[in-house]
Amino acid sequence: MTKSEKVWYPIILVMLVITILFAMMLGASFITPQQMVTAFKGGNPNQLDILINIRFPRILAAMLCGGMLAVAGAASQAAFRNVLADPSILGVTSASDFFILIGAILIPAFPGSKLLFSILGGLFALALLTRGPALKSPYRLIIIGVAMMLTFTGFEQLFANGFGGQTLGSFNGITWSQTEMLLLLGVSGMIAAVIISPWANYLKLSTEQLQTKGVSVSLMRIALLLVVVYLSSGVSSVVGTVPFMGIVVPNVVRYLVGRDYQTIIPLSMLVGAWLLLVVDTIGRIAVLPSELSAAVIMTVIGGPFLILMLQRKNFNGLKSS
Amino acid sequence: MDLNQVSYHYPQQPILLNHISARVPVGHILSIIGPNGAGKSTLLKLMTGIIQPSAGQVQLDGQPISSIPQKQLATKVALVSQQNDIFDDMKVIDVVKTGRLAHHNLLATIADDEVAQYIQATHLDALAQRPMSSLSGGQRQRVWLASALAQDPNYLLLDEPTTYLDIHYQAELMAILSRLNQQKHITVIMVLHDINQAFKISDVLWLVKQGQLVKVAPPAECYDRQLLASIFETNIQIVDVPNYGKYIVEIPEVRAES
Repeated sequence: MTKSEKVWYPIILVMLVITILFAMMLGASFITPQQMVTAFKGGNPNQLDILINIRFPRILAAMLCGGMLAVAGAASQAAFRNVLADPSILGVTSASDFFILIGAILIPAFPGSKLLFSILGGLFALALLTRGPALKSPYRLIIIGVAMMLTFTGFEQLFANGFGGQTLGSFNGITWSQTEMLLLLGVSGMIAAVIISPWANYLKLSTEQLQTKGVSVSLMRIALLLVVVYLSSGVSSVVGTVPFMGIVVPNVVRYLVGRDYQTIIPLSMLVGAWLLLVVDTIGRIAVLPSELSAAVIMTVIGGPFLILMLQRKNFNGLKSS
Repeated sequence: MDLNQVSYHYPQQPILLNHISARVPVGHILSIIGPNGAGKSTLLKLMTGIIQPSAGQVQLDGQPISSIPQKQLATKVALVSQQNDIFDDMKVIDVVKTGRLAHHNLLATIADDEVAQYIQATHLDALAQRPMSSLSGGQRQRVWLASALAQDPNYLLLDEPTTYLDIHYQAELMAILSRLNQQKHITVIMVLHDINQAFKISDVLWLVKQGQLVKVAPPAECYDRQLLASIFETNIQIVDVPNYGKYIVEIPEVRAES
């Protein structure tokens, strides 16, 4: 472990614990820590119900989705060799959303169809991105990605008329069964990402370099992108789109601890969990009795972040592959 | 390693290499020299199996290179390429470790000890924990060399390894290569820009012009003014430098006085 890792892991963990505590307390009704203890001892069934069946699954879901999207972003950046390559910017998540809608129209009652169509949509978008010249020019990749995002969003709106399409990512009303689904998808996907995180580092070398070292670039790239689709589609199928997580978190983490993906990926998981929990908690209490969706808040944070990154004078994150 | 009637052309392009046949002298230093565009780098790439000949065959231990799995080939042939961009910063030692992937499965953790000897051989001990972005061109070139050596190859191929280096680093690199050749009996195959460097360090020279192998001989037999002049299409003089020996200089044609 490097020095900066030793500093940041505990800081993030402490921040996460504090934020969880606040998220348990805050909401339509304020529950103090003492009341919490009383409730858990059986002294207040109403508050216990709020804590266990409303707040706790929501907190867990927000943390899981934050971790999943941040890790998907880091893996995607490595696979595309491009620090801006976030699944939401590249149109992967909007393709997922569109396919979920198509699935809902075609086979409404099929169990697991949301996840299945979400993954199909993500794979379809990646297939388009990894063909042709998009991989050769980093700026072209981003422009094609944004065009795809707009296209799929447009199609979704076109078809959504009368079918009430996928909503913007929100954790409002999330149930335990949905959270369990996220737990299953998130834990398996994030473990896979940590296991193959050395490949994210190897992909920093040129294709020719890796070829002469007997290493298959396409194998490593495809494995990383499958993890990306699995994680981001998992989130899309349960809570909808939460944009920009995958660009904000890994880049902040890179700034904190350097450029080793074996650190970036696990730490992004924690920072992502923390950030989305903060965002969702603020969204829950900012405009009581109504709510702001996590997606809206993330758009407001992520958009300017992306602009700042691109406008930085010494921005050198994009080199052609 | 043998080249049998090897020809190569890029798609829709005129022929770049034309029926080249030669044997690489095992355990020696071979330099390929010739003017720009003669096909030297392409020849090197063909010998690593990155590209396949349009006709003919490159053979390694009697087997066509195209039939050897990429990973197995990487344990025998390593390339230090001319362009060594990385897309994102890495520590020196991690770059060197990637060379060991030829000998491990892709998920293996490679210990620092395993690459210590390659780091020593290329004088990188003090730089091992530094990020690549903080290194000079000459230092970086040594990292790529160390990474290629970590493949533990029989054949080490280098494409113009001294081009961006100042004279001091050039001499240092040449000394490292000579030592590797003598102590570890690695066959070194280089494309060199500097003719005198090539003549000085090599056991054998391949002189290439317009996709043809014009001459294969030890340097001593290549001090041929006429031959060099025709290959490089310029006026060549060979002069004697005290304590050095023959030195090839390019001198523009002087018009005879009428």
